[in-house]
Amino acid sequence: MFTDLVQPDRVHRSLYTDREVFTREMERVYGGTWTYLAHESELPGPHDFVRRRLGLRPVIVTRDAEGGLHGLLNRCTHRGATVCRDDEGTTARFVCGYHNWTFDSTGALVGVPMRKGYGPSFEPGSLGLGRLRVESYRGFVFGTLNQEMPPLEEHLGYAARLLDQWLDRLPGSRLVVRHGTHRLRYRGNWKLTYDNSADGYHPGFSHASLLRMRKQRYGVGVDMQWTLGDVDNGGQTVTDLGNGHTFLDQRAEIDSYWESSAPMPGEQAYEAVLRERLGEEAERMLDLAVGSGMNLNIFPNLLVIGNQIQVIEPFDVDDTHLIWYATSLEGEGVPEELTALRMRLQEDFPSFGEPDDLVNFEECQNGLSIPEMEWVVTHRHLETGRSHLDENGNLTGPVTDELPIRAFWRRWTELMTSETKLVAR
Amino acid sequence: MNLDEILGSATTSSYVDDAYYALLQTDLTEWRARGTPLADPDLEGLILHENWLLDRRAYEDWFDLYARECLYWVPNVDVLAEEPPTLGGKPTGGSLGYTKAAVRPHDPRTRVAIAFDDRRRLGDRIVWLRTGVAYSQLPPSATSHVSSGFVRVPTARPGEVKIRSQFVCHEIRAGHPVRTLAGWAGHVLVTEDGETRIARKIAALLDPDRTHLNLSFLL
Repeated sequence: MFTDLVQPDRVHRSLYTDREVFTREMERVYGGTWTYLAHESELPGPHDFVRRRLGLRPVIVTRDAEGGLHGLLNRCTHRGATVCRDDEGTTARFVCGYHNWTFDSTGALVGVPMRKGYGPSFEPGSLGLGRLRVESYRGFVFGTLNQEMPPLEEHLGYAARLLDQWLDRLPGSRLVVRHGTHRLRYRGNWKLTYDNSADGYHPGFSHASLLRMRKQRYGVGVDMQWTLGDVDNGGQTVTDLGNGHTFLDQRAEIDSYWESSAPMPGEQAYEAVLRERLGEEAERMLDLAVGSGMNLNIFPNLLVIGNQIQVIEPFDVDDTHLIWYATSLEGEGVPEELTALRMRLQEDFPSFGEPDDLVNFEECQNGLSIPEMEWVVTHRHLETGRSHLDENGNLTGPVTDELPIRAFWRRWTELMTSETKLVAR
Repeated sequence: MNLDEILGSATTSSYVDDAYYALLQTDLTEWRARGTPLADPDLEGLILHENWLLDRRAYEDWFDLYARECLYWVPNVDVLAEEPPTLGGKPTGGSLGYTKAAVRPHDPRTRVAIAFDDRRRLGDRIVWLRTGVAYSQLPPSATSHVSSGFVRVPTARPGEVKIRSQFVCHEIRAGHPVRTLAGWAGHVLVTEDGETRIARKIAALLDPDRTHLNLSFLL
């Protein structure tokens, strides 16, 4: 169906502009594979919930009384109204505001006013909220309506090992995702963000403002200066992790995380406090304020970048919300000052980096509206022989290789052409 | 200051420490109070001049309005939210009720903000806007800042004056529809080198926790 539109070296513009394609994506891509929903630390206790979306479907992620996780479709089984209208909270009962049908935190229907008005065939047991299949990997909660998907960890493959590396920078610590968000919106297709997520070609250009400002104010050693110049002969790489997951690795360029960090308010104040209190251990803690040097992208909507978790929320073919969740570490010996430094540093890129990308995405959307200019070129490094299988058997190339984009489209095509029936249980 | 001076100024950040964060919590408490209509035209004039400089995109002159230790803060949450009383108790369930998250007190030590700019980061922001390649401001946003309802709010801090006001900011970038951003603002003013300067500004949007299009201009 899409073979004419997704070619080995280019893709058709309509995949970014056609609302019918978008509608099918929201059904088949989001919902047809494991899709990121929430982090467990957002709902730490019994009956905690967060409101999310699976494509365009309103969804609630809940914890029941025993701590079990559920992905529920936020739709009363009576007339269809949403039963949860808050972004997050704690409740044992979701009460539909329309006729007070009531559901518990597992989605079971537990209350129907004036129930005698229904006949003997009425079966509350079959009228619970629609349920996603839900699994969690180290706190990252995914849901799907595809009952044939393999278990989550198997599906993640080597991406799970990289997520381990991201999480284990401080062994024994736990990730906390309860520190607010940057909620950025752009008038462009959601895939423009995924295209960008492992694009090592753009930083020196799209982020020229950030790089130029930092270089002129702080000198050459600070903040991502390794993205300038002939990066194909630098230390960064991109990797196809399978199933549409991709990876951009900057770590080989980073000698000292703290020394090469972007600036943050309170930097010298808290650095002095931590060095005084922790001695040599301060170095390790200060490094943890700084991003990981990893861009790990879990198809189709989760981008683990720096110290942040970005989630792509499509609203329309040309309207996307990009939610950046701030994170901290919790655990033995993690100082409070580290959290404050992490908050301040996680404000930097949403202020001085991402806005320029988002405007470039909007301008892509503008340009892609031209019917006579049909193609988006995706073959950088396809013919240079620079990519190779790495020691884990994954295709890896120089950082400007567009192999991540080609990997995305392979997985996208599988899902868009799949006949698997998607069902809520 | 001119741009060259800003380039080399405030390249370290030493005053945002525990005491400073505690001061911000004190500010939030004081901002809640009933204010007295502002009788001092010079203080109102300073805020109106700030609006004018922002609308002219005269960032270097705008920077001069701020004290040596300063903060420009745009929170991503209603920092004054309190749980309202509810007739007959809270609604059952998650629907229609206020959640614990919505009333969580705001402490920027544990929460990111849309903008939390100390003097150094304000310098970064101005230099960034002036690089000529910040695509999010090419073309630049044209703004019209309107402030009204100035009241002086009591403060226990010696040497500081607290002014609360309401703002409406219309913004348009070529090719995009007009946007309206509104809310309340708090200005903490101090005297430095014989001049009245802004030590701390908070711009509290009506919808701080919602998703926004391009916010790369200044409020």
